[in-house]
Amino acid sequence: MTELVKLCAVSEVLTDEPKRIEIENFPPLAVYALDGEFYVTDDTCTHGMASLADGYLEGEEIQCPFHGGAFSIKTGEATEFPCSDPLKTYQVSVQDDDIYIQADLGR
Amino acid sequence: MNVQTTSDIATQWPQSVDGCQVPYEVFTSTDYYDREQHLIFRGEAWCFVGLEAEVPDNGDFKATFIGETPIIVTRDEHGVINVMQNRCAHRGALICREPRGNVSDLQCVYHQWTYDLRGKLRGVPFRRGVRGNGGMPESFDMATHGLQTLRVETINGLIFATFSTTVEPLEDYLGPMVVASIQRLFHKPIEILGDQRQHMHGNWKLYAENTRDPYHASLLHLFHNTFGLYRASQQGASLMDAGHKHSMLYTKAATTDVEVDREIYKDSRSYNTDFTLQDPSVLAGRSEFDDGITLVILSIFPNVVIQQIANTLAVRQTNTVGADGFDLVWTHFGYADDDQQMRDIRIKQANLIGPAGYISMEDGEAVEIVQKAVTRDQDKSSFIAMGGGVAEDCEHLVTESAIIGFWEHYQSLLGVA
Repeated sequence: MTELVKLCAVSEVLTDEPKRIEIENFPPLAVYALDGEFYVTDDTCTHGMASLADGYLEGEEIQCPFHGGAFSIKTGEATEFPCSDPLKTYQVSVQDDDIYIQADLGR
Repeated sequence: MNVQTTSDIATQWPQSVDGCQVPYEVFTSTDYYDREQHLIFRGEAWCFVGLEAEVPDNGDFKATFIGETPIIVTRDEHGVINVMQNRCAHRGALICREPRGNVSDLQCVYHQWTYDLRGKLRGVPFRRGVRGNGGMPESFDMATHGLQTLRVETINGLIFATFSTTVEPLEDYLGPMVVASIQRLFHKPIEILGDQRQHMHGNWKLYAENTRDPYHASLLHLFHNTFGLYRASQQGASLMDAGHKHSMLYTKAATTDVEVDREIYKDSRSYNTDFTLQDPSVLAGRSEFDDGITLVILSIFPNVVIQQIANTLAVRQTNTVGADGFDLVWTHFGYADDDQQMRDIRIKQANLIGPAGYISMEDGEAVEIVQKAVTRDQDKSSFIAMGGGVAEDCEHLVTESAIIGFWEHYQSLLGVA
């Protein structure tokens, strides 16, 4: 059964500066703000061991700071060499100025 | 470019009316070595860098050398072969540190600069800084910081590359004799069986001489002689291309006339028809070429030998390591359609060659005993005249003519007379 997992406050995520979140039961996550919406993906690039939260958000693409690869923050699709494996994305909701993801924790 | 073209070497070699004399300093001098790297390995020559069968799949790479310069051979995502220098555009580090592999991109371990399989720079970590700190200048253009690429041509699955923009196309460089010999051995798809690698403590040109020298083959190699793989009494020839830089030695199946051989080798330590092998299976082969040729040593200037000894097929690549050493890489192959028995024969006969081969180990020793003996006699020279002392094709094996051809071409490239 899915449940809501709180990540952070809306005010903590700045446009152009993704936020890295570390919480129990999840790999490191990256939270992005784009056009008034929020998006969440795994933070670790599927190519090298880079934190995407240190990367550069251009439109809906997050460019990895290490090797120039990129992903869509909406679909997780790898959009730029040398990345080829997709990035995991999460379903996001905002309640009372906090950002949540929906996740099945298997309990 | 002013790259070591003004080094101090003699512009005139000893002249002899009845033979070729090579000053021993060519084997020991770093001035010669530096000039060779510039004028031969990075100059007007096509250098062998690998077999297409070594990089069969997209993403495969081979890291090797041209002379002393590290290079990378890749097969990119479109199946195209590329050759580039193995030196990061950032601070000069080796990028590929393994001899072969399969990758999606080329990444320098030092700062993780990342290139695609054609050598184009695709990623620089923290190029735009981290949260406002650091980063490369605005003007930094990745398009101008790729790996240096080389001209590439292939022939029947052999890959050659050159730093030169002016050297003639590969087939013209090889000439019809070499092209025909390549087409004979690579007439169908091959299968790589494995490598043998050795370091020889001698100058690379001593091996270039050795592989153009049918004279020594029946005298140095006791195994050849004793078990009939190669004798001076065999039918064979020593041939060159028009420019005399390449050489092909070949022989046809061994004579069975013991009396003739006994007479020819009556004073030689290296011939004894009474010897037998307890296990002769290493010599059990199959006839596989209609022309009856059982031994081919094709020496392509400057850095590769292609060989057929009985059923043993291999390429031998020379990578120089200073004036007094080189690495020799033997890549054994068979044909993709070999049956299991033929594959077994080739693998067993692999014992004939390589650093400990029943035949080839003596060539390593021959290179090293020359290097040891000449090091302190740089002003002395060799005397090469067997077969007449001139570079011409011979329909026999009692000759050193192809060695003289090598030196003629070498002199022309280095600008000595």
